[in-house]
Amino acid sequence: MDYPEHLKYSSEHEWVAVDGTRARVGITDYAQDALGDVVFVNLPTVGATVTAAAPCAEVESTKSVSDIYAPVSGTIVAVNSALDDAPEKVNDDPYGDGWLFVIEMRDPGELDALMDAVAYRRMVEE
Amino acid sequence: MAADLAMLDAVAAGGPPILRCYQWSTPALSVGRFQPDDDVDREACERFGVAVVRRPTGGRALLHGADFTYAVAMPEPPGPAGAVDALYRWIASALVRGLDLLGVEAAVARHEGPAGAICMATQQGADLRVGARKVCGSAQVRHRGVVLQHGSILLDRLPFDETDLVIGGGNRAALRAATVTLAELGARSDVRAVADAVVEGFRRELDVQFTSMPGVDLHWSPRSSARS
Repeated sequence: MDYPEHLKYSSEHEWVAVDGTRARVGITDYAQDALGDVVFVNLPTVGATVTAAAPCAEVESTKSVSDIYAPVSGTIVAVNSALDDAPEKVNDDPYGDGWLFVIEMRDPGELDALMDAVAYRRMVEE
Repeated sequence: MAADLAMLDAVAAGGPPILRCYQWSTPALSVGRFQPDDDVDREACERFGVAVVRRPTGGRALLHGADFTYAVAMPEPPGPAGAVDALYRWIASALVRGLDLLGVEAAVARHEGPAGAICMATQQGADLRVGARKVCGSAQVRHRGVVLQHGSILLDRLPFDETDLVIGGGNRAALRAATVTLAELGARSDVRAVADAVVEGFRRELDVQFTSMPGVDLHWSPRSSARS
């Protein structure tokens, strides 16, 4: 399992890459492995408002549909439409080409509630 | 489908796990949560008198009407026990035990690869087979910390099947060769007998006790707990 140190992590297995006031979000290596082969990603709409810890997207893997939760609140400013034709990117490159969406954060202070790589690794390995 | 979602809501609100056993009063084609609408031949469905419903779970099109349907709603177990594969295997063990009580030797299917437009045409790791042929297809959704899994055990054949109703679904001979019904296996195929066997399978394999609810929903709890 891979836990990049520069990322922040939610308890629902999303990762966050912070760039100024924007948060790029995806699911972790642990999550994609647990889900199995991803066959469809139902992404939020650009412009939609999302709330921290609330579901904002769905992932269908081989016969399971799971919620994806917004790790921080804000507005969706970009979604990874490449996943429409290649959902397997979520499995193959969860921290790179498998990214899901970008949030313009309403309150960057919410990042403090997320875990660093050490804490996330401890959570999944216990 | 609405009743299955109501089960999910009840468990999400703190209720005990639920096992529901039911059959379909009229034929219906259920399609997966994100299955394209274009997969369904609406004109053919109307011609055969088949309603079309969309499941909250994933997977592909499945014809109901000569099948036994089960639905399980339970809190998502923490850790590895809550992983998709782990939960499928856990529930599969109960279903296999139940089918064994009917004299049917079922096993968890081998993963054959991505599904086409018809659920029963392809085996995946969540399914049950007898020999090389699929006898049960299942699908899950996880929402608000609750897992809803439901599935269909083939009891008999209708005069038509998914290949008549799904565009690009292949041919009937191939689907028939890939699947098997309890009737074709010479096993009891009436819904009541199958429901009793499945419930007993859960009871014996997973060591749970049931409390009957109005209708056919059964609440369960581990035997070690006095709470019903």
